[in-house]
Amino acid sequence: MDTPPRLILYSEEDRPAYSEDGVDLTLIRWMLTFTPTERLNILQQNMISINRLKNAGIRAATHRNFPRS
Amino acid sequence: MQESVPQLIEIFRVLDNHQVEFIVVGGVCAVLHGAPITTFDLDLVHSRTPENLNCLLNALIDLKASYRGHSKRIQPDVKLLASPGHHLLITRFGPLDFLGTIEKGLGYSDLIRNSEKIHIENLGVRILSLEYLIEIKEVASREKDRLTLPVLKHTLKEREKNKKA
Repeated sequence: MDTPPRLILYSEEDRPAYSEDGVDLTLIRWMLTFTPTERLNILQQNMISINRLKNAGIRAATHRNFPRS
Repeated sequence: MQESVPQLIEIFRVLDNHQVEFIVVGGVCAVLHGAPITTFDLDLVHSRTPENLNCLLNALIDLKASYRGHSKRIQPDVKLLASPGHHLLITRFGPLDFLGTIEKGLGYSDLIRNSEKIHIENLGVRILSLEYLIEIKEVASREKDRLTLPVLKHTLKEREKNKKA
């Protein structure tokens, strides 16, 4: 069976996407393009999104355990 | 209504209105330097001079702060805030931690020389330098501190490369 295609488009001229210890360097480079205010807004949105997902999970589990019918 | 995640800019705005002297440390500091991590903690080290403790207390009254995890509502006061301990608070803008000292007993006066002032919107906010944040995380005994170290070190390296380019 053929090796599945790599999901990261990469050429020899590109800077590496990952460090040798596995850190995603593309995310770091992306974050460094923003101002501190923009970085803080990204963090704030992440916090809100994760919290919404957590609450949705709790609601789903409650519904599974205590269905209204 | 109390928020379950800190409303970061709103908290900074109230602290600025009351002229509170503090340094942002921890995960939020790392993000402000460009580290792609997520945290739910807003950790601030406050100056424990009598003048600043009064400003801080007024800000905390404005924020409707009380200690988290207590069945009885306990509000911070100047005597409590003067301690080197950690003040884990809940406010009208969500959770907020004020730390009298951090690793190795370092307080505001020790950290200020390893900090820098940045601008968030129109607010001047003091944060720990990335180099010093790494130094502190390296001596920290907590596993969660050590986990973010590789990301912080690579953020510093990439930032240095950008400066040279």
